[in-house]
Amino acid sequence: MKTPRMLLGAVLTVAAATTVVHAHHSFSMFDNTREEVIVGDVVRWGFNSPHTLMYIKDAKGTTWGFEGAAPPAIVARTPRIDGFTFKPGDRITLIHCPLRDGRSGGAIGFIVTKDGTWYNPADGGCRANEMNWRKWLEAGYTSRAQAEAAAKK
Amino acid sequence: MTFRRQMLTCGAALCLMTWVSTLVVAQAPVGQEGAGAQGGRGGAPPAAPTGGPGRGNFVPEPVPPPENFATSKEHYEFLYRLHKGGTRHTYESIPKWEGLWSAAGNTSTGLFVKGGGFGPGAAGEMIPGVLTPAYEEAFKKRRSLGADYDRLTTCEPAGYPRWLLEPYVREFVNTPSQSWWMNDLGNDTRRVYIGQEHKNIDGTHSPEGDSIGFWVDDMLIVHTIHIYPNDYFRGQPPTSNQFESVEVWRMVPLANGERRINVNVTFYDKLSLLRPVTATYTFRRNTALEESGYRMRHWECESNENSFLVIDDKGKPATQFRLPGEPGFDDVRGVDPRRNPDLPPDLPGQAKNPIFDDAVKVK
Repeated sequence: MKTPRMLLGAVLTVAAATTVVHAHHSFSMFDNTREEVIVGDVVRWGFNSPHTLMYIKDAKGTTWGFEGAAPPAIVARTPRIDGFTFKPGDRITLIHCPLRDGRSGGAIGFIVTKDGTWYNPADGGCRANEMNWRKWLEAGYTSRAQAEAAAKK
Repeated sequence: MTFRRQMLTCGAALCLMTWVSTLVVAQAPVGQEGAGAQGGRGGAPPAAPTGGPGRGNFVPEPVPPPENFATSKEHYEFLYRLHKGGTRHTYESIPKWEGLWSAAGNTSTGLFVKGGGFGPGAAGEMIPGVLTPAYEEAFKKRRSLGADYDRLTTCEPAGYPRWLLEPYVREFVNTPSQSWWMNDLGNDTRRVYIGQEHKNIDGTHSPEGDSIGFWVDDMLIVHTIHIYPNDYFRGQPPTSNQFESVEVWRMVPLANGERRINVNVTFYDKLSLLRPVTATYTFRRNTALEESGYRMRHWECESNENSFLVIDDKGKPATQFRLPGEPGFDDVRGVDPRRNPDLPPDLPGQAKNPIFDDAVKVK
């Protein structure tokens, strides 16, 4: 064993941060350049690994499916999210990044309940910005594209 | 330099790490940790389970083997002889690593890509002279495809060595005769048989391989062989079915009371690596998860996963997502008729989520 190894052993480094940022699959099916709003009633909130899943029914009776992060990734967020946070029949506003192929689903960005509470069960599939969306939602925009187009005028 | 001196040096490094980490924690702005726990809004991808103070990424520099061993077996047996078989712990004396833990900083991502390129479409230049030509080409191909698909998508466990880096939650249970180390991702449990020889009556390999080990006071040395061809992480190089390792595990109490588990691991793989490589992984006690009431549950991936593989006409793999009513859709909480096709479909009490679903039906 050579001296440099001794030095190596004693030296500490700030390693490249690899803090675990990925789910067990990629998010290529979600278009994270688009962010849209949908209002509906909770059909089912699945608070389970490998992903939380939200199913809602919209005003036309269409059932939509959305994917969120796994429970251990979101249970310590503020406000707290658990298996009782969203109940069947609850009216929610959901900001999401839609599926690229146009089917009725996407990745969850935020969920806003009737009392105005903003929840963040998002995984890496949708990176909607809460500060922006608080303003956009209040102004009545239903998509990021719509809000950004209005800002350019 | 003798191994003993090396270990002494290592000990000094750990003390220094404790000191440095303590300084970092002490000077961290109040609330900074909480912000990180929110999932990395504003550009950064959502973080995995977070919590607890001092989750900086200070990790010890990897310590290579004391000699150039040809095989992992030689390496492990050298350490075994050096420590005269190690320490025989009782239930009272066995090191306890209780609680919930999450993967923290590591050096493994810097083994193959300059700057530690990581994950899908990892940026950074590949480091030459580490992988064999065949595996270097394979890694180039994987990078060129952008990692839009991952073998874990279809619920395969991460296996080893990826077990060391995967997000989500770990539990470490040490007994005098075995250690059981659980990752909730894919219900992926490693078992380390203390003071035993390798066994393989199966005549095959497995996701986590066969691990044996021995304690040296509070340090556990582990030898792992017979592992499936896996990978280091999504978007990282694959490993071959000849991959083996020698790990040195130790829990380090920091001066502020926080605890880390540090792992110094040397990977051997005559098919994928030109020579053995050494990396450090760390785990941090996830107190935020513990305080939230989180408990590890079985990953219901086989009945609760709606992501799947698609391959386009150019051969590029990607991930797709099933919706209600589509073939193969897994209902996360309702009644799945595929589970018990031998039962009446309207049999009461068969929903997986009686707390809500049965209540809704009653209404």
